[in-house]
Amino acid sequence: MGMKFLMRILTAALALSITAPALATEADEGLTLKGEPRIAMLYISPRNDGGWTQAFDEARLKLEERLGHRIQYVESVPENASSIRPAAERLIQRGANIIIGTAFGYSDTFEDLARRHPEVAFLNGSGTTNSRNLQSFYGRTYESQYLCGMAAAAASKSGRLGFVAANPFGQVNWTVNAFALGAQKINPDATVTVIYTGSWNDPVRERAAAAALIDRGADVIGQHVDSPTPQIVAQERGVFGTGHHRDMSEFAPAATVCSSVWVWDRFLEPELENIFAGGWKPQLDGALLSMAEGGTDIACCGPAVAEEHVSTIMAAREELLQGNKRIYQGPLYDRNGTLKIADGELPSDGELWQMDWFVKGVITQQ
Amino acid sequence: MSEQVVPIDVSQPKQRQPLLRRRYALEVRQQMAWYWQALILAAALAVGLAISALILIAAGVPGGELLNEFVIMTVFDAQSLQAVLFQASPMILVGLAGCMAFRARFWNLGLDGQMIWGAIGATAIVLFEVGPPALRLPLMLLTAAVCGALWALTPIVLKLRLQVSEIISTLMLNYLASYFLLHLLYGSWKDPRDSFPYSPPFQSFERLPEFFHGYSAGIPLAVVIAVFALWLIGFSRAGLYLRFVDANPKVADAVGVPLRKTILATVLLSGAMAGIAGFVITSGQEGRLTQSFYQGYGFSGILIAFLARNNPIAALVVALLIATLFVAGRSLQVFYQIPFSMVQLIQAILVICVASSDFFIRHRLRRVQGGES
Repeated sequence: MGMKFLMRILTAALALSITAPALATEADEGLTLKGEPRIAMLYISPRNDGGWTQAFDEARLKLEERLGHRIQYVESVPENASSIRPAAERLIQRGANIIIGTAFGYSDTFEDLARRHPEVAFLNGSGTTNSRNLQSFYGRTYESQYLCGMAAAAASKSGRLGFVAANPFGQVNWTVNAFALGAQKINPDATVTVIYTGSWNDPVRERAAAAALIDRGADVIGQHVDSPTPQIVAQERGVFGTGHHRDMSEFAPAATVCSSVWVWDRFLEPELENIFAGGWKPQLDGALLSMAEGGTDIACCGPAVAEEHVSTIMAAREELLQGNKRIYQGPLYDRNGTLKIADGELPSDGELWQMDWFVKGVITQQ
Repeated sequence: MSEQVVPIDVSQPKQRQPLLRRRYALEVRQQMAWYWQALILAAALAVGLAISALILIAAGVPGGELLNEFVIMTVFDAQSLQAVLFQASPMILVGLAGCMAFRARFWNLGLDGQMIWGAIGATAIVLFEVGPPALRLPLMLLTAAVCGALWALTPIVLKLRLQVSEIISTLMLNYLASYFLLHLLYGSWKDPRDSFPYSPPFQSFERLPEFFHGYSAGIPLAVVIAVFALWLIGFSRAGLYLRFVDANPKVADAVGVPLRKTILATVLLSGAMAGIAGFVITSGQEGRLTQSFYQGYGFSGILIAFLARNNPIAALVVALLIATLFVAGRSLQVFYQIPFSMVQLIQAILVICVASSDFFIRHRLRRVQGGES
């Protein structure tokens, strides 16, 4: 099967390279909107979900103010074609010409919609598809989670950190590794024990996972899941935690020492201005945003982090915001001692998406 | 014998009884003409729609726009009609699956699981590249039907052999199916290109084609299966047996109807139809095997079968109406910020109204003459 797969991918790549020049000349002009820009967003969850979607909604309010355009939104559009299509088509039918999605599961349908509506600009947060009028974007969450790892180690007495993660694939594994690397920057002996819940939003399992980690001695709980549950459990049990998506100190003021937060407005504002200006050309390999490009940032630090560490963390944040610091840089070894990134090399985005290995000090169920 | 026969006046004096002293009795009605049944059903739907309309107006949708949103923009607009039919085809199929199972008095709550297995079967044909491209789609359809039926086999055998309640077994098997789906998608079936938890995309000849500009072939497929179901239930020998089984399984068994075989075959067919629904979504809508494609359909299937009173053609109509409700609901959500849960609320109101109307079909009020004199 593997061989045939490879062949199929090769054939597809070949077909693409043959048709690509023809497309390229067509796309050279870039996309220019016909008429006034009218922006609409499709949310995967309710806008006040406390995390992922709320971060987009907060960006929407800032964008409305700064760009002077009203932005329509539709809440709770699930990740299947038969729900996304009618919502998007109705919006387009009534004049929307910039559609912003917010889910990985919108990728295929957005690609299809972009083909059917070449005059409309599509953007999709956490999407995987791109075309001449579709730009997917996501953040290098490992940068902000690295800083949270530093804060976690600074708040920890035992050096035993816990982490509640959603699903074991690239974009989650890279936050786990970065969290561990950041923690080891403060405390070289820090370990990170990870429990994958297998779901983005499952408060029941997140509670069980966080409690189990604390029972086994973890005194700071990091997270890459959508709900604030791990932080709430940390607060109940009198330990600390680090949040994801938004500033989780809203839910657990005593526990949360740092949160990785989305700052989509920092990316979307210039991007939308580019679309307004005309001749917009999406990056065909997707926009994977570093902190310098406006993907993520941190809300830091809670009182449990000592002053000296706060200044170290803030200095690292400044370097990342300036684009002067790399988290994944060779030489990097996995926890079995195999060289994964050679000395002096930087992993490609493709390698990052594929990340299925863990750095030293990460303990997983398997 | 010279007694005179005096004719007795049998007519009682017509006397108007005061309203409060009238007495009524509730009786079970043996049967009712179909047109009366249809009228009562229509009245129930009208009441349900009126309540729903009031709720929507209270939630801020202008009254005049309701007709526009639900009827004109949805049915008379080509793009919306496409969206309705796109949404309707798997709904028709799960509705039919519900009808079949309920007719055999088998409470199949496992439509989700059977859909998942149908989709897994179809995807296996794609991933292992079984058969030449021209035969790929028919093979996927067939495999989906077989896999869906096989997933329904365990609960029906458990029921027939050990009297295990299918309400529990089918429901629990859904979890097994969904976790196996996740196991595949996070394991060996994940897309090797980006390691995301979905299967690699299907190729064009593995996707349900459009049978007419913009209209998916899912609809004609669903209609053909509905007509087949109608023939099976209404005109075949198996359908006759099934009516016996539905009316009274014990009597059916006593008069020599092959009870077990009839139930077994009907339930397997129900599973097969749900499996085909899974195939229609993966091949016709998503273009690959995804994690949550089946969510909500199991419930919709039960609801459609219930509203359609297990009649295949009625299921077709009800599924189209529910799909219209879904698509129009998205539009209300888009333009009036009405939460989608409102659409689910409307669904529930319609179900309750139709369920209550059953009371009027099966019972009647009769005035008791005389009362307490």
